[in-house]
Amino acid sequence: MSTVELHDLSVEAGSTTLISDVSLNVEAGTWCTVIGPNGAGKTTLVETVAGLRRPSKGSVSISGAPVGSMSERERAKRVALVPQHPTVPAGMSVRDYVALGRTAYHGLLRAPSALDRKTVDTVLARLTLDEFSHRDVFTLSGGERQRMVLARALAQSTMVMVLDEPITGLDLRHQITILELLQKEVREGGLTVLATLHDLTLAGQFADRLVLLDHGAVVLDGPSGEVVRSEELQACYGMRLRVVDVDGADVVIPIRH
Amino acid sequence: MALVAIVTLALLAVAVVCGLVIGPTPIGTARVLGDVFSHVGLGHSTLTSTQSAIIWTIRAPRMVLGLLAGAMLAVAGATYQGVFRNPLADPYLLGVAAGAGLGATIAIVDLGGGLNTPSWTPPLAFVGAMVAVVVTWVIGGRGLRSSTSTLILAGVAVAALLTSSQTFLLQQSSPNSIALVYIWLLGSLASASWSSVELVLPYVLVCVVVCVAAGQALDVMSVGEDESRSLGLPVGKVRLIVIAASSLGTAAIVSAVGLIGFVGIIVPHIVRLLVGTSYRRILPISVAFGAAFLIFADTIARTVMAPSELPIGVVTAIVGAPVFVFILSLRRQMAS
Repeated sequence: MSTVELHDLSVEAGSTTLISDVSLNVEAGTWCTVIGPNGAGKTTLVETVAGLRRPSKGSVSISGAPVGSMSERERAKRVALVPQHPTVPAGMSVRDYVALGRTAYHGLLRAPSALDRKTVDTVLARLTLDEFSHRDVFTLSGGERQRMVLARALAQSTMVMVLDEPITGLDLRHQITILELLQKEVREGGLTVLATLHDLTLAGQFADRLVLLDHGAVVLDGPSGEVVRSEELQACYGMRLRVVDVDGADVVIPIRH
Repeated sequence: MALVAIVTLALLAVAVVCGLVIGPTPIGTARVLGDVFSHVGLGHSTLTSTQSAIIWTIRAPRMVLGLLAGAMLAVAGATYQGVFRNPLADPYLLGVAAGAGLGATIAIVDLGGGLNTPSWTPPLAFVGAMVAVVVTWVIGGRGLRSSTSTLILAGVAVAALLTSSQTFLLQQSSPNSIALVYIWLLGSLASASWSSVELVLPYVLVCVVVCVAAGQALDVMSVGEDESRSLGLPVGKVRLIVIAASSLGTAAIVSAVGLIGFVGIIVPHIVRLLVGTSYRRILPISVAFGAAFLIFADTIARTVMAPSELPIGVVTAIVGAPVFVFILSLRRQMAS
């Protein structure tokens, strides 16, 4: 049974259709990345899976349960979101920020339980954030900050994580660090990942499967190697692309006219 | 944090004693305290019946009302700042002040005939304040689906409408009623009695408890609405409960003491400078700090120009602004 199921999903904002009739299954414990040019509807897709947007048609379900009919609290225990531009509240410590991920478990009137605190400690250690745990979130570098946002999502202890451009603005090494951390969670923790990425090379290297989205519709859906080599990919971006095999990894290179 | 809490509570205790001891009729601190302790079965009072009446029917209810007003306005200001994520938010943001002002004006001009401040003033001010907030809430999209800025703008529109209606009413009335309304609007604890304390106490107690309990939710909301929803926070519900509690408590206080400005905005900021940005700390400390602050302000208001009184709103600003600037500069020095 697939963990994340999108069935004939359409989302509108006013009279504009943002995505239309998207059907997509992400198997449990796999990584699916959505690629496509700006304005293709990637962020809308991710936000709808996270329950932040209501579909005008169709449905999203996680392990068979429809996301639309869940309370915020139930949903936060099933799917965690790493937004494209996370808000970083100055004055909050890294530990308190990561602990926000436990909100759905302890509720709003009770203090975090021992399990909540232990989960936070474990996640902080796993992402080597423990040495920063008392720092003000505002003092972190871009890479540290993104690791912290990932830690908050992991603290939610969900089976599914959706990430919107999680490596934007990071240097090469930090991009790889974030993606490898995530890959480890998929391989070892059985996490199901639905992410969006602009970097086609990294998208191809880290995902089990790529979904090409354009003008709000799925153009192609398949194994990474096939999608990066497809004619459709070049058509969507309106440019020629070459794929070169470097030590067994596909590298996508844009060719200027 | 623990130190700040202890100091604030000590400050509140000193304020309570000042509120009872300081006044135009000098009664020694020891004798006043002796009388207070005699009421709980410790020792004997040495006060005359007149002195006892001054303490228990004039100063005590006034001090308690000031305590409640300060606590409520400060905690409401802090919750508004949290729920709107806006440092300029104060308890009057959604039209409470304008609604109460119009209600009081109707009472004084129409019911009192511009000759006195009738007993109908507090209930009408309360109704005006609540109607204003409810109208703001409804036209602002009920705060569930819309953004908070829609709600703030709706508040601006409602306040403008009500304030101009009030101005129109005043313009049609006598100079005497203008003076009465103006005095009411400036806010005062002069008419405090145990019955006014009894009237506002239930509202204030419930609303302060709800606001303080919202600390954890407001901390989550500091990451924005979408993110807090994705973390499991029912943002719409939290906003409704928190705004309802802050507005109800503020309306009750405003109906009893008029519009006391500055407490709701300055106290949470002073507290924030002292304890950091977590609402779990800001809210409870604001309750105590606001209470102490307003008792001190009222003590100054009723003594510096005795037998006449300064408007308490003037004192809160004149005292509050320098205190705020002082703590701000202290913080900067500590940071550098």
